[in-house]
Amino acid sequence: MRKLIADWFEDRAGLGSRLRSMREEHLPAGPRWGYVCGSALLAVLLVQAFTGLMMMTAYSPGTPTAWGSVFFIEKQMWMGWLVRGLHHFGAQTVMVLAAVHLLQVLFAGAYRAPRELNWWLGLVLLGLLVGFGHTGYQLPWDQKGFWATKVSTNIAGGAPVLGPYVKTVVVGGVDYGNQTLTRFYGMHVGILPVLLTITLAAHLALRYRHGLKPPEGAPTEPPPGGWTATYFPDQTFRNSLVVVAIVGLLFGLVFWHGGAPLDAPADPSSPDYPARPEWYFRFLYQMLKYFPGHLEWVGSIVVPGALMTTLALLPLLDKVIPSRALHFLACAGAFAVVGGATFLTIQSFVEDARSESFQAARKKADAENARALFLASHPDFGVPPEGSNYLFRHDPLTRGAALMEKKCLSCHVMGGKGPEGDENAQAGSDLKGFGSLAWIRGLLENPGSDAYFGTSPENDGMVEWKKTTKLTAEQLDQVAEFVAGFAAIGEDQTVDDWLNTEGVADHPGYDPFVKDCGKCHYVGGAASEITEGGDRDAPDLFAWGSPRWFRRMVRQPSHDSLYGFLEADQRMPASPPDEMSDHDVSMIYRYLRGDYLK
Amino acid sequence: MNRRDFHRLGTWALGGLVKLAVAVPAVAFLLNPLRKKDGTPAAEAFEALVPLSELKVGEPRSFGIVRDQVDAWVKYPREPVGSVWLIRQPEGVEPRVVALNAECPHLGCAVGRSADGEGFYCPCHSSAFDAEGKPMNRIPPRPMDALEVELSQDADPIVSVKFERFRPLATEKIPLA
Ligand code: FES
Repeated sequence: MRKLIADWFEDRAGLGSRLRSMREEHLPAGPRWGYVCGSALLAVLLVQAFTGLMMMTAYSPGTPTAWGSVFFIEKQMWMGWLVRGLHHFGAQTVMVLAAVHLLQVLFAGAYRAPRELNWWLGLVLLGLLVGFGHTGYQLPWDQKGFWATKVSTNIAGGAPVLGPYVKTVVVGGVDYGNQTLTRFYGMHVGILPVLLTITLAAHLALRYRHGLKPPEGAPTEPPPGGWTATYFPDQTFRNSLVVVAIVGLLFGLVFWHGGAPLDAPADPSSPDYPARPEWYFRFLYQMLKYFPGHLEWVGSIVVPGALMTTLALLPLLDKVIPSRALHFLACAGAFAVVGGATFLTIQSFVEDARSESFQAARKKADAENARALFLASHPDFGVPPEGSNYLFRHDPLTRGAALMEKKCLSCHVMGGKGPEGDENAQAGSDLKGFGSLAWIRGLLENPGSDAYFGTSPENDGMVEWKKTTKLTAEQLDQVAEFVAGFAAIGEDQTVDDWLNTEGVADHPGYDPFVKDCGKCHYVGGAASEITEGGDRDAPDLFAWGSPRWFRRMVRQPSHDSLYGFLEADQRMPASPPDEMSDHDVSMIYRYLRGDYLK
Repeated sequence: MNRRDFHRLGTWALGGLVKLAVAVPAVAFLLNPLRKKDGTPAAEAFEALVPLSELKVGEPRSFGIVRDQVDAWVKYPREPVGSVWLIRQPEGVEPRVVALNAECPHLGCAVGRSADGEGFYCPCHSSAFDAEGKPMNRIPPRPMDALEVELSQDADPIVSVKFERFRPLATEKIPLA
């Protein structure tokens, strides 16, 4: 029965005999380790295609969704980390094997007639593989991919004449966005695979036409009794051994790293992301440092282009220049290039390891990376519907701190430190722990310290009060506790509502507050006046330290009920809503109050 | 076994090993949706819908169910997930309110009220149900899915429903995980 079906197919397709002739290819010099490289490359390419197809069922190109879907693959899907990890490290393996394959063919002189065509096809394949690596790198839309791709496409855009147009077409516009992702995705999973399949099919067909290049001195006539070694199973056994070793190494890498890396979501506004290309492009990256900016394209396009052209011309030069001399030159050149690339790669990594600013930027990026993954996987947070770029905008720890840095820390300090932990010309209070019991108690203890009003000496009401007050330490504790409770006053609560809630009028801090603080600070509503104030100018303390008070302080710091009494140049500048949204104000507030996921 | 046999066996075995190593994670990857999700607390919760006094006896009213949804990687706050019919029962009958999932037990269309106002009718393949959700023809595989109802202790109790969905076409109520 089996024979019947096989014959039927053989009759119609002739597949069996063709396969058989491949399997029974004779190996005059026996199986060789030197022949495995192409097969190993093919095997890893198949792994890539397979894992890639799997991920296509889960990936979603588009700036709001790409990162989230990759996060989902990597962190939540069953064995997603393994599938993506194999694809990630497989891509690097492909690059290494392709380079080894190229060198091996070069050293063997297999670019010579009659294999010229296949040599060229091989070079085309190399270009396609680089295209795969390049387009795939940015699909996760994470910081790493985003910045690396931005840099490399800008390099292309720096080429004379056509450069800017090429870049705009590739990127899908002037800016990087949805079109960049859909285009790169289409290239990565559609256009390039088709081109690769066609080229690879031709490459393999020619390889069978010419056979494997036998080593020098191999017998050309079959020995008596016929050839003993055939491609299957003698060569395939070696191929399989090597493929098992390589795939084993791949699995090892994936397990060791626990999957593939995923950086924080792409943020075009991040000021100091240390962009680096994948390690196999490092030599190019490093080489660029030796070119002045406007000649960047020489390093990035002309040099690699010239290299590829030389390689492509080898079979033709072989006809003009004595074969042996050319081969020697080519091999020497290859050694020089490999040596140079290795040197540049090492130099690049060493430079980074020694550079403090790189390390600092990398550390910051790593912290953001960890925070992003933490938020995305937290059941109370998750990737917001607006997209992964909004992940941090809803996180007080990240967004609040960044806004503080930009808006507040030119005058205020956090724990004595200005922006990026540097000094600033402090002209405001220390906001670390603002509104907390400890902060208030500290103010009542030493209002003139730098942490409070020390750096705004015109604002000296509290300092004067401290000189004359008779409150005991215990009473100060109670007042601090009482005032710390103001932060809980709700958005719609009036003074009268608040007074009638439990624990307000009968709080032990109430009386000392009214008697001492109330001399200057006014707290009152429609029906009742708790304190009269007025001895000296001072802000209204109702709901002090609550979100509503804080928002007012940001919007109208010069209002009569706040710090309007100060001279114009001593007041805090206001931030209107078009400069800072209510959402952003609440991010700062929650950051200061420590109200975020930990 | 000679050398060539060994090579033949080795090729098959090693080749099989590599294919298996890649196939296993791939299959798991594709079967991911079958995996039980751990702890979806929202599914356990009762949804407060309406005060009892606003329901008229014997007159079904439909209510949308809105809850936090996790759709693969995205967390949507307050998304509509389905709707229920609430039918207040005459005084003295227990339970005081019947809640029916509006999802048709046949193939999942939305069940509306029948033209005569007596019961329910699904426009997709004409499943008909009576006022209690029992099938009136042979198209639906089971009655409309009754949901657990809770009434609060207030003078005018709030009606809450535990919203659950069940497998279509099954003759039993099998909850969708
Ligand atoms: S889905 Fe309701 S009748 Fe078929």
